[in-house]
Amino acid sequence: MSSEASEAERSEASKRAGSEATREHGGGGRSEASKRARSERDRRSVAADGGTASSGATRAADAARPDDSLLRVRDLDAGYGDLQILTDVHMDVGDGEYVTIVGPNGAGKSTVMKSVFGLTSYMGGTIEFAGEAIHGLAPEEIIHEGIGYVPQNDNVFESLTVRENLEMGAYILDEVPEEQIEVIYDRFPILRERSDQRAGTMSGGQRQMLAMGRALMLDPDLLLLDEPSAGLAPDLVQEMFDRIDRINDDGTAVLMVEQNAKEALGRCDRGYVLVNGENAYVDSGEALLNDEQVRKDFLGG
Amino acid sequence: MGISETYSRGRNLAVSRPFVLVAVAVVAILTLDIGRRLAAPGGLTSAQLATFLWEGLVVGLSIGLAGVGLSMTYSILNFANFGHGDYVTSGAFAGWAVTWLFAGAGQFDLATLLFIGSVSTRDLGVSMLETPLAILAGLIVAAAATIGLSLLIDRLVYKPMRDDEGISLLIASIGVALALRYTIFIVFGQRTRGLTDAQSVPEFAIPVGGGGTLDVGGHELTLVVIAAALMLGVHLLLQTTKLGKAMRAMADNEDLAQVTGIPTERVVRFTWIIGGGLAGASGFLIALERGAMNFQFGWILLLMIFAAVILGGIGSIYGAMFGGVTIGIAQNLSLVWIPSEFSTVAAFGVMIVVLLFKPDGLFSGVTTA
Repeated sequence: MSSEASEAERSEASKRAGSEATREHGGGGRSEASKRARSERDRRSVAADGGTASSGATRAADAARPDDSLLRVRDLDAGYGDLQILTDVHMDVGDGEYVTIVGPNGAGKSTVMKSVFGLTSYMGGTIEFAGEAIHGLAPEEIIHEGIGYVPQNDNVFESLTVRENLEMGAYILDEVPEEQIEVIYDRFPILRERSDQRAGTMSGGQRQMLAMGRALMLDPDLLLLDEPSAGLAPDLVQEMFDRIDRINDDGTAVLMVEQNAKEALGRCDRGYVLVNGENAYVDSGEALLNDEQVRKDFLGG
Repeated sequence: MGISETYSRGRNLAVSRPFVLVAVAVVAILTLDIGRRLAAPGGLTSAQLATFLWEGLVVGLSIGLAGVGLSMTYSILNFANFGHGDYVTSGAFAGWAVTWLFAGAGQFDLATLLFIGSVSTRDLGVSMLETPLAILAGLIVAAAATIGLSLLIDRLVYKPMRDDEGISLLIASIGVALALRYTIFIVFGQRTRGLTDAQSVPEFAIPVGGGGTLDVGGHELTLVVIAAALMLGVHLLLQTTKLGKAMRAMADNEDLAQVTGIPTERVVRFTWIIGGGLAGASGFLIALERGAMNFQFGWILLLMIFAAVILGGIGSIYGAMFGGVTIGIAQNLSLVWIPSEFSTVAAFGVMIVVLLFKPDGLFSGVTTA
């Protein structure tokens, strides 16, 4: 695709996204959200580059976007094989930000994440990470850029021990980073206890910790989490979210897909609602939770 | 655990898995029968029993060594490679050409030696005692040539099909098998040729009690020692090296290996290097132990290799080692009761019985590459 063509498409898409943004910001709860310290960043909308209909404040925030966005997805079209799932998806994750993607089943939530990690068929648009275009790269190249990914299912090597799983997480390094293994063990003490146990013998919650530990072995700037609470017992779900909070507090940006939308939106900095492979809403997690339309349509009232 | 619970567990087992009980009973009866025959005057001697077990171990390790490569490529590439038997033959021919060249250079015509042609094995005098260096060189070349061959075939045939179904790859591998076998046939001919000088192979008599001895051939011993060492080497590679762990990781979950940053194509290449190397080495050693070979011995052996690998649980390298030894010992120990014409039947019988109650093989669920 020539750059001219993509430029044209981009402005086209921006206009559309811009008009959506008006609707997005029309929802309730915005004033409440703005009380929060981080809401300045939160109020950014999908209408990233020069949305025509946004308020002045939003536009000002948008203008600053290209400089501080760690992950910047624009007009992304992607899918599997010939099947297109995502259309003109926009998404931003700032440095150290905690962003959640929610939406109904089949909305393409996981597909966004997989696309960022190079696991889908790329069909158009741009994905930039730390200022560099990464769309079209293979997963093993994206790992080098500083992105860690925890798939939803089968996310540990069952026949390998806990320690070996962590070692595999740092495969691209020449030496096993012992200090980083210690960091992971300190974060998830159960993994230290079980270090010589096969991952396949562990419980769902422990596996999820191991999967995150493996993805954190390279100390990524951005961690992609695909439904980390799926299949966990209810009492473990809170614990899992607490752990994710702590990972984020330590400076790792998080982009998470969650079925457990209320919990996820209550904790994140910003949320995206995706419907039919397109952006529907974006706002602070708090604002989305308080938005009547979003609540009615996606959060079960 | 209460008695009634034990009872009901036992009853459940008897109802749901009657074969387990039958198999346990059969093994117990056979063991008792061996004891009875040993005790009876004029019956089985301890020397005979020891010989059966030793021969079983020799056959078993040779099959197991060849099976490790087959199981490895199965677990990482997800297809049953029917060309594996002919990799074994190819390695043996390449290796023996070099061994003969080393042993007979200056004494015989080079072309005759290179094509493992009509030379009196007596005059050539190849054995571990007389020409250990020629045999060592042959072993190394057998492994190296088979590594080269399997990498070449992977590049030409399997790599373009990497994302295809296992069944397409399997059919392609049958084509590879035929192509290899008849290439060897065209180059070397169909003659079964003697390789070693049986007279100069040392034998060791080991007393086994009751006045009998177990005769251990020098070449059998060579095979057992080298096969055991290679298997230990594979074990250490898989358990302690970064590459070995990556191979196990990829056998376990290829998609996850990819998102973890493991270079999957490199792992595939190393799988062929190790699997091919072991196939070539096992071919050379089997020919050394038998003292003869022809162009299709690997293909014929493939049936036994598959039996061993399936018995152990296809995809598990420890299963391949264990399955090989089980098949080998079953085949030889069956001679206590049945004539040797039927010993292969006994080997496959054991495989069928095991699969009846452990359909995925003995080491299923313990996927260690």
